[in-house]
Amino acid sequence: MCYVVCREIDLNAVVIAPEPRHRLEIDMTRCLYPACTACLMYCPAPGSIVETGSGRPLVPPPPEAWAEPRRWPRGAS
Amino acid sequence: MPRPNHPLVQEFLDAWVYPVGFSGAGADFRLRMTARCLPVWNGATARAVKASVADQRTAGDAWKIERALAGYALEGPQMSIKQMATQLLSVSLAQQAEYIDLQRMRARQVWDEMKHGQLNADVLLRGGWIKREDELMEDVRANAQDNLAYFGLTSMFLHIHPLARAAQNYFVEAIAYLGITAALQTLEDPLIRHQMRSQQLEELMHFMEGKYQLDAYALTPEDQKPIEEAFDFLLKPWATKMSVAFGGREPEGSGR
Repeated sequence: MCYVVCREIDLNAVVIAPEPRHRLEIDMTRCLYPACTACLMYCPAPGSIVETGSGRPLVPPPPEAWAEPRRWPRGAS
Repeated sequence: MPRPNHPLVQEFLDAWVYPVGFSGAGADFRLRMTARCLPVWNGATARAVKASVADQRTAGDAWKIERALAGYALEGPQMSIKQMATQLLSVSLAQQAEYIDLQRMRARQVWDEMKHGQLNADVLLRGGWIKREDELMEDVRANAQDNLAYFGLTSMFLHIHPLARAAQNYFVEAIAYLGITAALQTLEDPLIRHQMRSQQLEELMHFMEGKYQLDAYALTPEDQKPIEEAFDFLLKPWATKMSVAFGGREPEGSGR
């Protein structure tokens, strides 16, 4: 789901590795965290995304990650 | 004053329902629909807890067999796989580019449902209650479930709107996740636990797909209307029945 969400908002920071296990990686040169946290809200795998440096698990997301100013505005095109 | 949520439902809400990645009409719509789902989510969870406690106290294997047969009928070839296959057709060729990620989610769920059916067959095989999966074709309990009206309309979602299915993913898959979570609190049988642990997060995934589709795509009254109509149907008291597989057994002496 992180791949789908990131693709939908046109950041494309989630990369699917070409090796057989198709691991998902986050491209830190494209990811806008902590300004953007949209993917965290749709990941169903507890603990699978962690904060670089602190190692803090972000799934399920802590309340500050989905505070109003961090939500991605979404309207009909 | 509103009744408090069941503790498992409250945990589910705080961790998975209320966190929202988008602002806008889709997320607002989802929270309105959530309020409608809550009474059923609470009731189903309480019932799943009760059924699990009763099963845990029951000697013998009958309850394990009953759960696995019901799971095979619900999640296996007779229902979920067919449902998801039809949902791939709800997106017209002209809409493929717009909804390609929705199509990817549905294709992935076809595989999940295949796996879930197989997990229930595995319980019966590894428990020694059948020798081969094809024996299940002779047992009506493995091939029919008590959700016929629901099955009918979910098959018809494809005729309504590409997003109508999101209501099922949001409302029903949450019940599956909550039912499994409730059962895992109590049931100790390793076969049943293996089956449930192997699909618990995938049920959560299916719920998330509904959540995402509502937040990201249900942005106009025109898009919300067919989804709300699907919720209207699913929330009818006779439309959605909780499967025995997820702890929905009728209480003894209920007369139903």
